[in-house]
Amino acid sequence: MGAADKQGDLVPGTLDMLVLRTLARGSMHGYGITEFIQSISNDVLRVEEGALYPALHRLELRGLLASEWGVSENNRRAKYYRLTVTGRKQLAAESERWDRMTAAIALVMGAA
Amino acid sequence: MRESVSVFWLRVKSLVLRRKLENDLDEELAFHLAMLSQKRGGDSRRQFGNAANVRERCRDLWTFAVLENLWRDLRYAIRTLAKSPAFSAVAVVSLALGIGANTAIFSLMDVMLLRSLPVKNPQALVEFVSADADGARMTNLPYAVFDYLRRDRGVLADVFAIWPSDAAFQDTGSSQPAAAHEVSGSFFPSLGISPLMGRTIGPDDDRAGAANRVAVISYAFWARRFGRDPSILGSAMRRSGERFTIVGIMPPSFFGLDRGAAPDLWVPLATDPDPGEVWVLGRLRPGVSVEGARVQLEPLFRLALESMRGKLAESAERERSSFLSQRLLVNRAAEGTSGIRWTYWDHLSTVKTLIGLSGLVLLIACANLANLLMARSAARSREIGIRIALGAGRWRLVRQLLTENLTVSLAGGSLGLLAAGWGHRLLLAFLVGDPSGVALDFELNYRVMTFGLMLSAITGLLFGLMPAIRATRADVYGAIRSGGGQRSAWNILLAKGILAVQIALSMVLLLGAGLFARSLRNLGATDLGLRRENLLLMDVRPAARSPQARQQFWTDLTRRVSALPGVRGMALAGDAVFGNGGWNQTVWIARPGQVPRDSHVNMNFVGPGFFATAGISVLTGREFGEQDRENAPLVAVINQAFARRYFANENPVGKRFSDRKRELDRYQIAGVVGDAKYGSVREGPRPMVFHPIGQEPALDSSVLHVRTISEPAALAPSIRAEIQALDSDAVVSDVRTLPQIVRGQLRQDRMFATLASFFALLALALSAIGIYGIVAYRVAQRTAEIGLRMALGAQQRDVLWLVLRETLIVLAAGAAIGIPAALVAAGLAKSLLFGLQPSDPLTVACATAVLFGVGTLAGFIPARRAARLAPTLALRNE
Repeated sequence: MGAADKQGDLVPGTLDMLVLRTLARGSMHGYGITEFIQSISNDVLRVEEGALYPALHRLELRGLLASEWGVSENNRRAKYYRLTVTGRKQLAAESERWDRMTAAIALVMGAA
Repeated sequence: MRESVSVFWLRVKSLVLRRKLENDLDEELAFHLAMLSQKRGGDSRRQFGNAANVRERCRDLWTFAVLENLWRDLRYAIRTLAKSPAFSAVAVVSLALGIGANTAIFSLMDVMLLRSLPVKNPQALVEFVSADADGARMTNLPYAVFDYLRRDRGVLADVFAIWPSDAAFQDTGSSQPAAAHEVSGSFFPSLGISPLMGRTIGPDDDRAGAANRVAVISYAFWARRFGRDPSILGSAMRRSGERFTIVGIMPPSFFGLDRGAAPDLWVPLATDPDPGEVWVLGRLRPGVSVEGARVQLEPLFRLALESMRGKLAESAERERSSFLSQRLLVNRAAEGTSGIRWTYWDHLSTVKTLIGLSGLVLLIACANLANLLMARSAARSREIGIRIALGAGRWRLVRQLLTENLTVSLAGGSLGLLAAGWGHRLLLAFLVGDPSGVALDFELNYRVMTFGLMLSAITGLLFGLMPAIRATRADVYGAIRSGGGQRSAWNILLAKGILAVQIALSMVLLLGAGLFARSLRNLGATDLGLRRENLLLMDVRPAARSPQARQQFWTDLTRRVSALPGVRGMALAGDAVFGNGGWNQTVWIARPGQVPRDSHVNMNFVGPGFFATAGISVLTGREFGEQDRENAPLVAVINQAFARRYFANENPVGKRFSDRKRELDRYQIAGVVGDAKYGSVREGPRPMVFHPIGQEPALDSSVLHVRTISEPAALAPSIRAEIQALDSDAVVSDVRTLPQIVRGQLRQDRMFATLASFFALLALALSAIGIYGIVAYRVAQRTAEIGLRMALGAQQRDVLWLVLRETLIVLAAGAAIGIPAALVAAGLAKSLLFGLQPSDPLTVACATAVLFGVGTLAGFIPARRAARLAPTLALRNE
């Protein structure tokens, strides 16, 4: 996914983490994930679908997610993703790293 | 790690569950779209972005992208190649010939030199060879050596001896001789070969007093002579009246130890009353090295030689000491005895020349391929430019072009492997006159396959990569805009350079072909010193045992054959007038006031009328007659070379010489005959002595020389009938005419001449195609310029010259590299040429003329088209 830009694209490399964090709340389908990220970030972060599905499949392949077919709120067949144990560990590691990074960046920006 | 494993499994699964995965993905995406449209209405598709792209990227995750792309590339390659059949055919066929020729030669070498014998543990087999002080090696060892070596108890697990019997064997009801090998009783047990039927020869059969004589026949002989009839076990083979009971039939895979000389049958060595020489082989004990064995066995070898000292008393001092100073060598024999290598590969230059010829063809095919591919990618630069503009990765394009080039080279390689099977047989037929006696089973074994396919893959990579990289470097904008866009992609200078190299290589082949062809003609037309027309030769061996009976047989034979209609004259001789070269003889010549010197000459026993029959002219004195018999004074006839060397300017007739150190006046010279060739077409004049057959003990076999009035072969059956009438057990073999002998000797020369001519033609055709292609391209490129020149008043002639000049420059460059290279190459093949120098001016001139002629013609066709262009048309072309 492209570089961050004014229209609210993601900071590169953060999509996986956001997806994992979102799914930490419980299982969700792809559309739900985009909706959630967009609304929780006050419409700042918009997930490109073209990036989301490959990312979901990749995370599933890595064993961080599991998927199953379920029925959506409007009674349609939809694929639901949830975190696996490994996924949870990965999320913990990534958020810790993220915290460190943002703190460090804040320090630099504050000092300038 | 875990990821890659699961990805791998997903991919494997996806090969099978492709449809389900696709459906799942589609459904998932459809759900997303539906949700979007539900929420925002109408324009969801645009919002969603490129659905195909999403699908593509997901799919990439679970497929073997590389494999699938390869498959797609391959299909694409085959489609594009099929679209330009002329290009594909030239590229594939020229490569097929190059690879086929190389593979054929490789497979021949593989069979002859590399493949192990199909016997038990061939790695432990060794052969014994003697080497004299000059380093000359002999596999023919005195029987005593075998006798002594088998006393060894230390290093050898087994020793056995083989000797190709000179006696002819026959089965009942056939006068066709069969070739036999006499083998010691340890031969079959040591090789560990079980018979197909019956039994093999064992140690008990190989005793002087064995109860009955046995023979084991080869599968090929069984099939050929007996139609695979199992009931022939127990029937008899005869050797001059002696019975040999057939006790076993060998399996088809067994041919003995020499692929070049597979015998029809094997008999015990003990049945040979006088085994003078034998080939000795053995099997090393485990852990014994070849050198270790040599050191251990050398004393036994010495003892064996010493044991023969008595027999050497008669021979010259020099010969005796050189005999006694021989050393023993031990060679690995896993691939068979050296026999075949010494027989057919005696001149290493044969192999080298073959490799050189086929290597040149391959190089030319490669240069041709490189140019074709470059031209082709140039012609496609527009397509490539568009694909790059549309976002195709460069590496992806290179890979695709390379796939195409590899497809061409592998197609060429596969076709080449097929051609190799055929070429292999052809080569074999050239190398050995009668391939049926050669146990060379050609099969596409993995070594040959690997060789051929590796060769084609390397060719494809080496010569396909560069054009592919060049093509994708094209200036995209320019490529798409300009009509063909070839300007940037086809480096015409590079193409001309490659073409010049190709022409140079063709020059080498052309000169080679010319030299070999002329050399073959010289050989065929060379003066043998005798009349080669209407002379029939055959080997005759009567069954009669006693000298009187044999003498009677020869006398009767002479009388009967001379009386046959169609016979102009006949004579008997110990050795053929041409083909072998006679026996060696040491002669002493007494010169007044000098110590007698011994020297080596060649010798033959000949009957009355021999020189007249053979057409050798008697220069002074007389030829042998009936009067030269047992109790008459001993006489000899010498040839001119002998006279020149030993009697300089004196008249030799009446002079004396001897074959012993004492009795220096043993023979009186009765006549001098003209020089002839005795052994081979290539030999120069050498001293030769003839003794009358009548003054020797009755020969047990001799060569019948018959001068006929017309076609000699037609007379063979009636002569055969006369012989059978005299002695039904007599063996007639090797019926031949002089042209046949000469043809046999020139097989290799003919092979070189044929191959080189064929290859040269091919090279010439490829060069012509190359020249035509470049000139045609240049003409197309310069159409506007040509139009302009013509509009400004240039004549057709000027335009023709303008275009042809380029061709001539390339040809001249090619010749400038090619002629010196060809001369160097010809110098390497000097020993194969006859009657002309490698730098033979006429041949060089002819080859150059042919090259320029064909090259200019190839350039002339498109040049003329250019010259005939209407200026207006040409100008409008831009």
